[in-house]
Amino acid sequence: MPHIDSIKQISDVVWEIPTSYKPGMLVPARIYATKKLLDGMDAGVFEQVTNLACLPGIVRNAYAMADAHWGYGFPIGGVAAFDTESGVISPGGVGFDINCGMRLIRTNLRYPEVKSKVKELVDLIFRLVPAGVGVKGTLRISESQFEEVMKYGVQWCAENELAWEDDPSHVEEGGFIKGADPSKVSRQARSRGIEQLGTLGSGNHYLEIQVVDPARFFDRNLAKYFGIVEEDQVVVMVHCGSRGFGHQVGSDYLRVFDGAMKRYGISVRDRELACAPFSSKEGKDYYGAMVCAANMAFANRQVIVQKVREAFSQVFHKDAEALDMHLIYDVCHNVAKVERHSYDGVKAELLVHRKGATRSFGPGHHDIPAPYRAVGQPVIIGGSMETGSYLLVGTSKAMEDTFGSTAHGSGRTMSRTAAKREVRGAELQRKMLERGIYVKSATMDGLAEEAGMAYKDISEVVETMDRAGISKKVVALRPVGNIKG
Amino acid sequence: MPFRFLPDVALADIAFEAESDSVEGLFESSALAVSDVMVDPETLRSETTKKVRIYAEDLDRLLYDFLTEIIVVKDVDSLLFREFEVEVAADQKSLKATMKGEPIDRVRHLLRNDVKAVTMHLFGVRREGSRWKTTVVLDI
Repeated sequence: MPHIDSIKQISDVVWEIPTSYKPGMLVPARIYATKKLLDGMDAGVFEQVTNLACLPGIVRNAYAMADAHWGYGFPIGGVAAFDTESGVISPGGVGFDINCGMRLIRTNLRYPEVKSKVKELVDLIFRLVPAGVGVKGTLRISESQFEEVMKYGVQWCAENELAWEDDPSHVEEGGFIKGADPSKVSRQARSRGIEQLGTLGSGNHYLEIQVVDPARFFDRNLAKYFGIVEEDQVVVMVHCGSRGFGHQVGSDYLRVFDGAMKRYGISVRDRELACAPFSSKEGKDYYGAMVCAANMAFANRQVIVQKVREAFSQVFHKDAEALDMHLIYDVCHNVAKVERHSYDGVKAELLVHRKGATRSFGPGHHDIPAPYRAVGQPVIIGGSMETGSYLLVGTSKAMEDTFGSTAHGSGRTMSRTAAKREVRGAELQRKMLERGIYVKSATMDGLAEEAGMAYKDISEVVETMDRAGISKKVVALRPVGNIKG
Repeated sequence: MPFRFLPDVALADIAFEAESDSVEGLFESSALAVSDVMVDPETLRSETTKKVRIYAEDLDRLLYDFLTEIIVVKDVDSLLFREFEVEVAADQKSLKATMKGEPIDRVRHLLRNDVKAVTMHLFGVRREGSRWKTTVVLDI
C-alpha cells in the first residue's frame, strides 16, 4: 500500500481514509482488511476507493472489501450506495461481466463414494457445459424467448423445464431482478448472447466438484439449514456470468456514458468511472439493459446446473432428485440494484453497486428464502482452483455497516503473464492431480494463469470478513474436480 | 512484433501497446494483438474472409469499435482471424477492414483467453513523432 498519513484504524480489520485525503471526497472510504492484507493491497485500491467517494449522491462510505484489487473505475471488491434521486449509476461499478456470480448445489453423496468417479464426472460435465473461447451452448431459443430470459431469468427456466420448483426462490432476487428493459439492449449484445446460455466462458470462471472439509466445519448447526450435514459431503460450485451478452451491454454503455457526463456536468478522475444520474435517460437505459444481462446470467448458471444434475444422474445411475441435488443458493457479485437500507437513522431506497462484492443479508430479511430466513443469506466465496472456497452466512452487522455486503473471492496478486512464467499449465495440472484435484481446462495457458499462487490467501480474506462481523464462516469446501473455462 | 504485452498494467487482465508508422498499420497491429490473446495465430489458417465497415465519431472510438467488432464476430460467427487489412477514411471517422481467418476448431487451434471487452482504461490513439501508438487494456 502507499503511505497514507490520514488513514485511521477503526477496528482490528476496518480502516478509514477521511474526506480530507482528496479534494472532492463526499464521504470517507472504508477498507476491510487485516494489517497484512492492507499492506499487500496495490496502490490502485486506495486511489480507486477514494475516487468512488467523490461520486455524486454517494451515501455514508465508499467500501473496499478484503479481497480488493485494482479494477476499471471501481476497484474489484468495491461497494458504493447512492441515493436513487440525487445519485449516479456507473457501468464501471458493475463491471463488464454483469452478474458474474456463484452458485452452490449440494448432493447427498460423500467423498468416498465419489472419489473413483471424479474423472468420469469432470470429463462428462466438460462435454455438457461448453467452456473456452467463443463457445456456444446447446440450447437453441428464439429471439422472443431470449427476451423472456432477459426479463425473467430463472423464472423463465422454471417455466421451460430447465429448473426445479424450488430453484428460483434459492437465487438472489428470486431468480430475476425487476426492471429489465430489452428495448435498451443492442443488436450486437443480443447476437452475442442468444446462443450462450449454458456456457461457462473463460478467464477465472470455473465449475468445481468440492468436498466439505471436516477440519474447517465451523458451524454445523448453521450448515444444516443449507442441507450440509456430513463431513466429506460433496457439493458443486459454479462461477460464471452473463457471457458475451453482458460484456457487450457493458461495452455499449461505457461508450454512451463516456459521452453523457459532459451533459450532466459530471467530471470523474478516471474515464472508466464514467457515470450518469440514475434518474437520467442514460441512467435508466443502462439500468434496464444491465438488469437484462443480470437475468441472463442467472439463467446461464441455471442451465449449467441442469447439465451438472444430468451428469451426476448418469454417472451414479440415480435421479438427481434422489441425489438431493438442490440449489443451496446463487449470489451475484457484479451488479447494481435498488435496495432498501437503514443508515444513520434514515430508511432509504438506495442503488447499491457491488463489484467483486457479495450481498450478505442478515437474519430476518424478507429477500432471503423462507428456509434460511432465521439464519441469514448464504454467502458463497470462491477461492482459487487450488485453495478451495467457503460458504458463509450474511449478518445483521453487514446490514448495519456495509449495506449488507461482503467480499467475493480471493483477489489476484500476480499478473497473468507472471503466473505463466512461474508455472506451465500441464505441470500445474499434474501437480494438482497429485494433490487429489482432477482438472480439465479448455486452455493450458489459461490454466497456468489461474494458479493458486496468483491469488491472495482466501482464508485470510474470509477471516477478515468474519472478524468484521459482516459475514460468518459456515464451512470450507476443498476442490476435488475442476473445470476451467 | 508490431505490439507488445504490458504485464504490469492490469493484474487480472491483459494490456498491450501497439505502434506503426500509419493509422492503418496501428489498427492492424492492434487487431493482431487482440487475436493473439485469444488464439495462437500460428495454428490458424486464412480460409475465411470477412469484411466489415465501421463508423464512429472520432479516431479513438473508431479503434474501440473495430477491436470490439473482432470480439463480437468471435462470439456470433465463431471466427478468429490472423490477417487484417484496414483502410481508414481521410476524415478518420470510418474504416473498411478485410479480416482473414477461420471458424474456431477446438482440436487444431491453440486457444487462449476469451476476451470479454475492450476497456477505456488508458485507451486512446496518440501520435509520437512520426509514429502512431495506442495502449489497450482488454478485460479477460
